Amino acid sequence: MQSAKQFTSIFGGVLVLFLVAPLIIRDTQFQHLMIMLLLFTTLSQAWNLIGGFAGQVSLGHAMFFGIGAYAAMAPLNQWGLTPWIGMAIGGLVAMVAAVIVGYPVFRLKGHYFVISTFAVAEVVRELFSNWDWVDGPIGLDAPLVEQGWRNFMFYHTKLPYHYTLLIFFAVVMFVAFRMERSRMGYYFRAIKQRPEAAQAMGVNITLFKQYAFIISAFFTAICGSMYGLYVLHIEPSTVLSLDISIKIVLIAVLGGIGSLWGPLLGATILISLQEYSRIWLGGTGRGIDLIVLGALIVIICVYEPNGIVGLIKRFSRKKRKA
Amino acid sequence: MKKSLLVAIGLLLTLGFAPAGNAADEIEVALLYPLTGPLAEAGGRIKAVYDVAQDVINNSYDIQGIPFSKTQGIPNKGNAKIKLSYYDTQGSPEVGKAETERILQEGKAKLIIGAYQSSVSKPTSFVTERNKFPFLCAVSSSAALTERGMKYFFRVAPTDFHDARMFFNFLEDMREDGRDVKRIAMVYEKTEFGIHAMKEVKKRIDGSGGVYELVAEVPYEYKATDVNAEALKVKAAKPDVIIHASLFSEMMLFAKAYKNLGVTTNANLSFCGGYQNPKFASGLGDTVEGYMGSCTFAADFIEKKAQLKTINDMYKAKTGMNLDGISMEAFTTLFVAADAFNRAKDLSPEAVRDALAATELEIATMPGKGVKFAENGQNIWIASTMSQIKNTEYKVVWPEEWATTPVTWGLRP
Repeated sequence: MQSAKQFTSIFGGVLVLFLVAPLIIRDTQFQHLMIMLLLFTTLSQAWNLIGGFAGQVSLGHAMFFGIGAYAAMAPLNQWGLTPWIGMAIGGLVAMVAAVIVGYPVFRLKGHYFVISTFAVAEVVRELFSNWDWVDGPIGLDAPLVEQGWRNFMFYHTKLPYHYTLLIFFAVVMFVAFRMERSRMGYYFRAIKQRPEAAQAMGVNITLFKQYAFIISAFFTAICGSMYGLYVLHIEPSTVLSLDISIKIVLIAVLGGIGSLWGPLLGATILISLQEYSRIWLGGTGRGIDLIVLGALIVIICVYEPNGIVGLIKRFSRKKRKA
Repeated sequence: MKKSLLVAIGLLLTLGFAPAGNAADEIEVALLYPLTGPLAEAGGRIKAVYDVAQDVINNSYDIQGIPFSKTQGIPNKGNAKIKLSYYDTQGSPEVGKAETERILQEGKAKLIIGAYQSSVSKPTSFVTERNKFPFLCAVSSSAALTERGMKYFFRVAPTDFHDARMFFNFLEDMREDGRDVKRIAMVYEKTEFGIHAMKEVKKRIDGSGGVYELVAEVPYEYKATDVNAEALKVKAAKPDVIIHASLFSEMMLFAKAYKNLGVTTNANLSFCGGYQNPKFASGLGDTVEGYMGSCTFAADFIEKKAQLKTINDMYKAKTGMNLDGISMEAFTTLFVAADAFNRAKDLSPEAVRDALAATELEIATMPGKGVKFAENGQNIWIASTMSQIKNTEYKVVWPEEWATTPVTWGLRP
């Protein structure tokens, strides 16, 4: 486990980088990349709380993401309500959904748990697809409203999105750091490694899994709200899709599941590769970007299943021995 | 602190790149299409047709009824050549929006043409509207796109409204000839395109005073991989007419399922989409014999307008296929852009937008006079015809003015 001093210095460096980078590099694409990077790091870290620390691999996080996106966009679209209220409602609804979903699914283990989370997310997607108030499968568009903080719409700058996401990112990283070294964090690790032993020692494993799920759902929903307000168009096939769930998990796996810095490293590689390979190669129409991305994921997963964090650890161990 | 600095430099090196340059005697047009992902095949064909259109505008071909084919480049702009830059949406609204922002930020393109799906055209044109930049939509068909009060959005293709109107005029003709058309089944994908097409059909059935009856409404998921349950629903309803709003892969699945399940009906009509992909007719052979759909171009148009053979041959040399309605709409769209550049007082977004709004382009590529935009940006000189698959080829069967062969009534697998 990283010492508090080490964490603070690296975290400080990362925050400074994210604070100054969009001011130095004014390129819109770069700023878009930074926003996506912050969004998916935060999302993946939120997933890491339940999937990495507590070892409960959920393939249904798109449901919380979608709930957040719809909670911010639908009231704005229908009643002109500020999305900040929608965002808070989305977070709360996601927490309630996590309790309702968690109660039955945490009775399942391993593959059955994974499949059940995926199935529940599909049910939620289907519900939204058939809900007229949110325009069913057509989805919702952000209305052409006055730009500013009230509506959280900015037409000529990306900086407000960037810095708002940076705050969320910092909060989630801090929560993950505190959780890792708290009593709850130790319970999570015990649940992940030896659930029977943890239970024998008196840990209420269902309750603590539920806690992790609720916290994770809340942050995921907030990210969903931010995504909707940034992209300006949401529909069930995008914000409630399996693609989103997979992407969140993939980033954590690529970076290093259950590690504090894994999501940031995974997102840095996956999102920048995805964005820049599309920019450089996408127009060729041959899908080379997607092939490169797939190959890289396969290589990393085969060579170092603990992800990039595992690679770094292996490298530093070798260096120490030498 | 050393560590923080290393992390910062590492991330900046990984992320901080930017793309490059452009010549002065060219007018750049950004094309926003799905070049990879589930719609890559359609995107590839559209790319081929834009290349043909660019060739015709930039070089001298002298094709009758096609403006800018005699000249080289844009005459009023010092014969500047059209330069095309392709941007891949991957069929995703999020990627489409990011690519639109990239186009605007690069600042090289004078106009954006796109996107294939209505659900991508919507958010991308929001971005251009907010940035006061002209967006010319070639093929997205959702009528809602031109009902948003936008000033910088223009569409060349007919909408679901035009197609639905044409379908019911056609059915009315068939009914007057004593054919059974009362019982209608509507099959549609759950997307912007499908839902709007369904609403247009429903509106006409509801307003028919009982002449038509909706016996089955069958929605399905976009990118569906199995449609047997939906096909069974259609079969159980025993419709006289099946109307589809489906893209290519799902349309293929439905055609196979109808054949396997022995679905019989009098007519199978399709909104623009999968039906128009030439591989639908050539790939499924007998299975889709007699299917019908809206079309703004079929190869037998050449019998009516011989000059289109040159364009069709150029396209065929690139793709091995005849032009279809969607490709011809895209082809026409680049000429609309060329015409706007030619008339615009300069190439600023505002001037190009004003020129587009004043478009009255007579061009002999599709049924209808050509292109003129209403205040909402919709082309009002466009018309659709009904084509039918006969021996793996698309033949125009209605209206009489454009028909090269009579309608074959009834589908029996």
